[in-house]
Amino acid sequence: MTQSRRDFLLSTGAAAGALAIPSWMRDAQAEEAPPVDRAAIAGAAIAAARKAGAAYADIRINRYRNEAIATRERQAQNVARSYSFGFGVRVLYKGAWGFAASRIVTPQEAARVARQAVEIARANAQFQPRAVTLAPVEKVVTTWRNACERDPFDAPLDDKIQFLMKLNERALSVKGVRFVNSLLYLVNEQKYFASTDGSRIEQNIVRTWPRFTVTAVDQTKGDFQTRDSLGAPLGIGLEYLSNYPWLEDAEAAGNDAVEKLKAKTISSGKYDLVLAPSHLWLTIHESVGHSTELDRALGWEADYAGTSFLTPDKLGKFQFGSKIVNFYADRNEPHGLATVGYDDEGVPGQRWHLVKDGVFVDWQTTRELAPMIGRKTSYGCLHADNWASPAFPRMPNVSLEAAKENVTIDDLIADVKDGVLMSGDASFSIDQQRYNFQFGSQTCYEIKNGKRGAMLRDVVYQSRTPDFWNACDGLGGSSTVYLGGSFSDGKGRPSQSNAVSHGCPAARFRQINVLNTASKQPE
Amino acid sequence: MLITEKEAKALCQKILGLTKADDAQVRVISGAQTHQRFAANSFTTGGASENTSVALTVWIAKKKGLATTNDLSDGALRAMAEEAERIARISPVDREYLPTLGAQAYRATGGYTAATEQAAPANRAKAIAEIIAAGGKDSMQLAGLHQAIDTATASVTKNGNFFYDRKSRVTLSATARTQTGDGSGYFSRSHFDAAKLDTAMIARTAIQKALASRSPQTLDAGAYTVILEAQAVADLLRILRFVLDARGAEEGRSAFSAPGGKTRLGEKMFDERVNIISDPAHPDAPDAPATAEDVPAEKLWIVRNGVLESLAYSRYWAQQKGKAPTLGPVLNTILTSSAAPVKLDEMIASTERGLLVSRFWYYRPVDMRTLTFTGLTRDGLWLIEGGKIKRAARNFRFNQSLIEMLAPGAIDAIGAPERVSESENNAFPMLMPPLKIKRFNFSSQSDAV
Repeated sequence: MTQSRRDFLLSTGAAAGALAIPSWMRDAQAEEAPPVDRAAIAGAAIAAARKAGAAYADIRINRYRNEAIATRERQAQNVARSYSFGFGVRVLYKGAWGFAASRIVTPQEAARVARQAVEIARANAQFQPRAVTLAPVEKVVTTWRNACERDPFDAPLDDKIQFLMKLNERALSVKGVRFVNSLLYLVNEQKYFASTDGSRIEQNIVRTWPRFTVTAVDQTKGDFQTRDSLGAPLGIGLEYLSNYPWLEDAEAAGNDAVEKLKAKTISSGKYDLVLAPSHLWLTIHESVGHSTELDRALGWEADYAGTSFLTPDKLGKFQFGSKIVNFYADRNEPHGLATVGYDDEGVPGQRWHLVKDGVFVDWQTTRELAPMIGRKTSYGCLHADNWASPAFPRMPNVSLEAAKENVTIDDLIADVKDGVLMSGDASFSIDQQRYNFQFGSQTCYEIKNGKRGAMLRDVVYQSRTPDFWNACDGLGGSSTVYLGGSFSDGKGRPSQSNAVSHGCPAARFRQINVLNTASKQPE
Repeated sequence: MLITEKEAKALCQKILGLTKADDAQVRVISGAQTHQRFAANSFTTGGASENTSVALTVWIAKKKGLATTNDLSDGALRAMAEEAERIARISPVDREYLPTLGAQAYRATGGYTAATEQAAPANRAKAIAEIIAAGGKDSMQLAGLHQAIDTATASVTKNGNFFYDRKSRVTLSATARTQTGDGSGYFSRSHFDAAKLDTAMIARTAIQKALASRSPQTLDAGAYTVILEAQAVADLLRILRFVLDARGAEEGRSAFSAPGGKTRLGEKMFDERVNIISDPAHPDAPDAPATAEDVPAEKLWIVRNGVLESLAYSRYWAQQKGKAPTLGPVLNTILTSSAAPVKLDEMIASTERGLLVSRFWYYRPVDMRTLTFTGLTRDGLWLIEGGKIKRAARNFRFNQSLIEMLAPGAIDAIGAPERVSESENNAFPMLMPPLKIKRFNFSSQSDAV
């Protein structure tokens, strides 16, 4: 069985470690770079907001660095570094929100922008039927950084390009592979938060995502098949490049893409599914992560992302899944993409159950949302993707608990007479209340009489969230756990992107509707 | 404030002067936006922001480096130039390098109205309050977004080209939901001129759709004749602009690839009434007068009378294949009919049994070989029987090839195109008509309203 990513990380001690002096600190002190006194800027914004009548104000002064290296086959296509620095001020005036942002990071501009935010809030307040109230939060003055042994922005560029070239070469070594596209995407967020509650919080977050797509082409038939990498983006430094079997996955991807050209299709119908965690994380994201967002349940996202079938009356009594199903939210998940010390209104990262023994037991909340359901404190789910974006409720890492026993994926397969094994995430879609979903995979195999059989192609499954999770009758143990995730979970208007992880073991589901997408007949 | 043409030119030249690279291009993007969301009949998040970022691409001995910053101080710009050069020196040779463009002639396409300056917070708050009040008469829960955006884009090359363009867009989307959650309606429109955005009409249409979509009937999944409103067509066909790449087609990994390493150019892939055009100067949906590579963009016929006439050749791929780079496509995909447009009412009246689709949601590719997509109907689906709308229907999931949907013999009727943006990203305007499709594959029911 393939070793999981978590095993690699644990075996190499990647969870520990910290940097001495991050390069961005040196950048800030570089010759001719304007000195930025964030405390003074925050003070100017908060004072101006108060003077203009705001009951509450906060400011985020954030610096973002991104690096993207793109290659195809035996050439580097693009190496790009970007840098963005600015601040956003959020105010509460007579129960209404206002927000404004600027890239000019000076005390004078901060005061102007704070007054602009109050002007927006004042305009809304006269028509606001519901005054916003906030759950209390303790004042915090601290610094926090996620686990990162090797700063990806300090590493030699050549090392990173060569890493991708080796991946490409390994995939191209497979007979029948025609194209490889690979990308290394690196993110560093340096965040400073200050509020009228007195909090002053600095955070430094690094994320790393190597990815590739291998393509095999059958030109005589005009056919092509692809296989994406199975490695996920993580909150980790460049040590990730040596902590995960990327080269082995590139070769496997080549073999899979070629084999898919000749793979057989399947008759549509009900099958037992065994889902590898490299696939299941995305189903969790869509059907569990989003359905347990309280803002959706209250209609705040009705115009775009949608609402949720989990209405407030279902809390504590709705049988979301079978009794072996337990989901938890965790802002402290090691290497999680949504792992933070504090959210964007100064609430500390926490861990809590969303589904316990199959029953829906809790929501994702913010300081504004918590009092609306009678809670005294927030779970810390407020986030903005940029200094220029207003913060709003975003998903924490949401994960499925593994079985306590040492169950392997082969154990799950052994109890399936006629089924399908799916690995890797591919096509995905879910309705606006998170009921009906459809997912495809990178690879798919038939299961016959407890054994993995031939490769399949053009397979997706469809189900309804509570039906699907109540059909779960087998979970893998901790040895099967994998932390999947996405850099780009879209939500809100204007749309914002959230990085979020989902851990899960392999799992088995009984009698799920499977479709052959190559069929021209309606399913 | 948005950067002016004069300021942009000066900034670009200043940055160009910071590098001694063999070749270079500077790009400036300046933007201002203001927006307000509302939901559950209340104001939620909103705000205003401005940003200007610059990107410098350099080539040293044909090796490329790119750096970007939004800090426009002298020190930061110099640091950006050094960073771009440092990246170039240690990068492999850019095998697809072509010298940057010399001076080009661009045609002004209009579409700038300083929209953010017109969207004063007090006026916007009043307009949203009126929308919420309009829904209150029918006990509706209103949610939506009002957004104004202005952008200025400029670029300069070391070989003497200069490009500058400004655009505006004001958007209102509104979703009305019944108190009991058994009906939902959505409508959205945008314009470059705020004065031409009819906010009351948008809200009223969303409310009417919600009222008409109450108590939906569950229908069997299967193939139905469908009438797709312009919004639904835009939702499906937004993908067109991403898949018209000639290189992908010639490499054998595109829906427009043909066996034997050929493409489907010249093939009558679509109904003979179908024309697909890109036209940056169209008065209803003006777009940038240049492609992403700053090649001047002109009106381009992609599909004419059902025949695939153009694929997009980048500068590099055009040189490899001995062709001229494609003058487009830009973003504003336009679908028109060679025949007289058919009104939506006429499409309904001529339908014995079918479904009227208001919009789609979460449309994602399933198979790029056939452009098969999955997704769901949302915010308005109605059963048509005997030429009349009979009642609301419960939502469906579909799995449908877009190529087959537009294929010869698949289309019953084509309406008049209207300005609409696809509803998930709302990012760029298209001109899409309502379509009546003979068979559309719905694969399962959705409980969602």
